[in-house]
Amino acid sequence: AVNKERHFSCEDCDGNVSGGFDASMSQIVLCQNNIGNQAHMNRVVTHELIHAFDHCRAHVHWFTDVRHLACSEVRAANLSGDCSLVNEIFRLHFGLKQHHQTCVRDRAILSILAVRNVSKEVARKAVDEVFESCFNDHEPFGRIPHNKTYARYAHRDFQNRDRYYSNI
Amino acid sequence: PPRPCEAYRAEWKLCRSARHFLHHYYVHGERPACEQWRRDLASCREWEERRSAEAQRSLCESERARVQAARKHALVWALRQSPPADWHLPLPQEEKD
Repeated sequence: AVNKERHFSCEDCDGNVSGGFDASMSQIVLCQNNIGNQAHMNRVVTHELIHAFDHCRAHVHWFTDVRHLACSEVRAANLSGDCSLVNEIFRLHFGLKQHHQTCVRDRAILSILAVRNVSKEVARKAVDEVFESCFNDHEPFGRIPHNKTYARYAHRDFQNRDRYYSNI
Repeated sequence: PPRPCEAYRAEWKLCRSARHFLHHYYVHGERPACEQWRRDLASCREWEERRSAEAQRSLCESERARVQAARKHALVWALRQSPPADWHLPLPQEEKD
């Protein structure tokens, strides 16, 4: 369970980072000086919650295995709405067919470079190695939640899970 | 049935929507395949209304295939048995100031 006093912290941040997950303290940091609207806030909170979720359900070697970090960043970019068509257009990245995957790769690499002192080549290689597995890991949603409808359906499936698994 | 029949109908309708076509093409570069939801909806109704064993078998097989497809990629990390020990522990004192 997540407690907003314990697991969230609003702080001023350097640069234009929007947020982060501090694994050593099990805490999500939200950059109050860099988040300007509700939609952006929703996206950052979702993104960081995916890191928190991964930290909670798995032994993620955040600091010692760049592949683990890459995996969580791929998932966060994939499932948070970071790479929605609209957001990409705002960034002037135009592409339609399968562009989502390009965006996920690129943003995962950027996220790794923002928090680790590794070369772009190392980051890119790590993302490539884990992409197939991590892009297709949609936990806890069971699907990519493109909007509220998908999120509602995912929640309904979650609520229904006992019935589901006992009847297949 | 594993889901209420209304759920199969809702998934089928979502799958066939223009919005979903766009999302799916944007993510996968191809059109979505919705036939299986329609088949599952039919099986679900058969199961509920006529207690058809064939419909039950078909639906369960379809759902098991979905679960398999979701699990087929080896995870990068090892799963935990319980949350991290410090998840709920209070923050270090200096953080509170």
